[in-house]
Amino acid sequence: MIQALFIALSAFGLLMALGTVFAKNLVHAGLYLVAFFFIVACQFVMLEAEFMAAIQVLIYIGAVAVLLMFGIMLTRNIQGDDTTIVTKQWRLLGIGAAGSVLIVLVLAINSYEPWTALAVRPEFPVKQSTTTPRGQAIISMTPAVGREMMTRYVVPFELAGLLLTAALVGAVVLAQYDNADEAEALAESSKQSATTS
Amino acid sequence: MTQQIPLTWFLYFASASFAIGLMGVLMRRNAIGVLMAIEIMLNAANVNFVAFWRYGTAPAGEGPLTGVMMALFVVTIAAAEVAVGVGLILLCYRRWRSADVEEFDGLSG
Repeated sequence: MIQALFIALSAFGLLMALGTVFAKNLVHAGLYLVAFFFIVACQFVMLEAEFMAAIQVLIYIGAVAVLLMFGIMLTRNIQGDDTTIVTKQWRLLGIGAAGSVLIVLVLAINSYEPWTALAVRPEFPVKQSTTTPRGQAIISMTPAVGREMMTRYVVPFELAGLLLTAALVGAVVLAQYDNADEAEALAESSKQSATTS
Repeated sequence: MTQQIPLTWFLYFASASFAIGLMGVLMRRNAIGVLMAIEIMLNAANVNFVAFWRYGTAPAGEGPLTGVMMALFVVTIAAAEVAVGVGLILLCYRRWRSADVEEFDGLSG
């Protein structure tokens, strides 16, 4: 039952990923990408990492996909939709490269005995008194993540905060109008279109 | 749950998504499309992290949440990367009136 569910969800997710790559219309590609993110969240639920699923929905679907959509809509008008995919011989090369990477990965996974033998997850006792820290972390993941963030991973946590601040400032600086006459030209053209319309 | 999902199934799903993302990076001409394909690849890596965390035995002295924490930091860095990437693409679009990666060849020899 759970296996059939996994196969159905994975097949749907891979189809959505293919749609993201091959869709001519970039807005459609963004919507396929949202579906793929959601399927990855479902995989996290199947791996009993519900907190990761929530994070996936919040950050990827809520922030990253919306940001990409804004990017698509802001850069879209001049370039037509038919130029989003490369010419035929490059397409063959891309499919060949990706196919060979896939074959190498699948062969490597298949040939490594400790991974192919792993079909049963390590059990964790559900009873509160006898459970291990790991089982406790699986049962209630959010407080465990918070505790880990503040103790063992406090330096990476602070570094991630620094990185996010730098990325925020950097994105604002990059997207700002740095060229004065470019802004003037834009204002001119908008004034002209306002007078003509 | 009578039947369990083997670890390798998650690995197959992750490698297939990674290959699809690589295909997108190589084939897309639109820079936003390339960013979307990179996101697919990062998600595939995250599935692998969480799968190995759940199926592997906990290493001694490394805490109960190794793979999940790694995946969390990957998500953080991916968010920062998308913000900066979209900012850069908008800058290039304003300068060259195009989001086509084949036209951004100012640094090629």
